[in-house]
Amino acid sequence: MRFQLALAAALLASSVPVARAADLTVALAVRDGGFEPAVVQVPASARVRIEVTNQTPVAIEFESFDLNRERVVQPGQTAAVYVSGLKPGRYQFFDDFHQQRRGTLLVE
Amino acid sequence: MIETLLITWRESLEAALIVGILLTYLGRSGERRGVPYVWGGAGAAVLAALVCAAASNGLVAALDPDVQELAQAGILFLAVAVLTWMVVWMHRNARALRGELHARADRALAAGRLLGLATIAFAAVFREGVETVLFLWGVVLQGAHDGVLALLGAGLAGTALAVATAWVFFRGFRFLKLQTFFRVTGVLLLLVAGGLLTAAVNKLIALDYLPALVSQVWNTSWLVPDDGIVGGVLRAFVGYRARPSLLEVLVFFAYVPTMFWLLHRAGRSVGPAGRDPTLKARAA
Repeated sequence: MRFQLALAAALLASSVPVARAADLTVALAVRDGGFEPAVVQVPASARVRIEVTNQTPVAIEFESFDLNRERVVQPGQTAAVYVSGLKPGRYQFFDDFHQQRRGTLLVE
Repeated sequence: MIETLLITWRESLEAALIVGILLTYLGRSGERRGVPYVWGGAGAAVLAALVCAAASNGLVAALDPDVQELAQAGILFLAVAVLTWMVVWMHRNARALRGELHARADRALAAGRLLGLATIAFAAVFREGVETVLFLWGVVLQGAHDGVLALLGAGLAGTALAVATAWVFFRGFRFLKLQTFFRVTGVLLLLVAGGLLTAAVNKLIALDYLPALVSQVWNTSWLVPDDGIVGGVLRAFVGYRARPSLLEVLVFFAYVPTMFWLLHRAGRSVGPAGRDPTLKARAA
C-alpha cells in the first residue's frame, strides 16, 4: 500500500511541469520556407533548450540523427527539446515530414 | 514521392514487425484464439491515431506539448511491462507445449493474456500510427501542387511495404523447428522491449526529466547510418541509434541481459518436463 502511494505520488510529481534548468534557450521557428534561423550557434557542453515553434499550417517533426532527437510539433505549438554535453561540431537537423527543410546546430 | 514512401515505411516497420511476431507466434503454437485480439488491438490503434490526429487542433492541442510527449513515453513503458509479462508467459507456455497436450496451452491463453496481446498490438501501432497519420494528413493539406493522390498513394504504399517486409521476414520462420522458433521469438520480443524502453528513456531525456549522463557514448553512423535500410530494421527491433546516450545504453544493457538470465534460470529449474525425450520428435 505504501509502495502504491509512493508510486502514485511519484507519477503525480513527474506529471507536474517542473522548472527545468537550461544554460540557454534558443528559438527555432519552422516556416514553409524552412528553419529560421537555419544555423543555430551554441557553446560546447552547454545544456540547451531548443524551442521549436511550428509556424506552418500542418504538423512537422523536428528530427536529428546527429542529436538523437525527434519530436512532432503540431501547427501553432512550441515544443522544447533539450540537448546537453555536446562536443564541438556541426549537428544536422531536419523536418522529417518535409525533408527539404534542413538546419544545423553549430557547437563551438 | 520515394521520400514519402520511405518515411511511412520507416514509421510503420516497427509496428508491422511486432504484430508479425505475435501473429506468427500464435499460428505456430496453435493458439488461434489470440489472433482476433492482435488484429483488434492494431485496428483500435489505427482508429485512435486517426482520432488523435483529427483532434490535434482542438482537444489535443489544448494539452501542453510536453504532456503529449509524456503520454507517449507512458504508452511505451506500458508496452514494455506487458511485453515482459507476455515473454515470461510464452516461455512457460513453450514448456507446456512440449510433451503435453496443446489443449492445455489453449486454456492457458486466459482473458488477461488475450488483453495483453491486444495491448501490445495497440501500443506498437498507436506509437508510430499517430506520426504516420499526422504526416499523411500534412501531405493531403499541403500537397495541392504535387498531386495529393500520388503522394498519399506513395505514403500508403510505404506502409504496405513495411507489412510486406515483416511478412517476408516471418515466412523464413516457418522453417525453424518449433523449439528453436519459440526461443527466437522470445529473444526477439525481449530485444523489441529493450528498444521500446530506450525509446521511452530517450523521450524523457529530450524533455530534461532524465540526465543523458554522456550525451553521445559512441557514433556508429559510418557503419550503420540511422536512415539506411539496415539502420531502420535494427531501429525497429532493438531501438538502434547510431549515437546513443550513456543512459540509453545502460538501460538497454540492464534490461535485456537481466531478462535473458531470469528466463534461462527459470528454464533450468523445470525438472524432467523440460528435457522431455519426445520433444525432438514433436518439434520436427
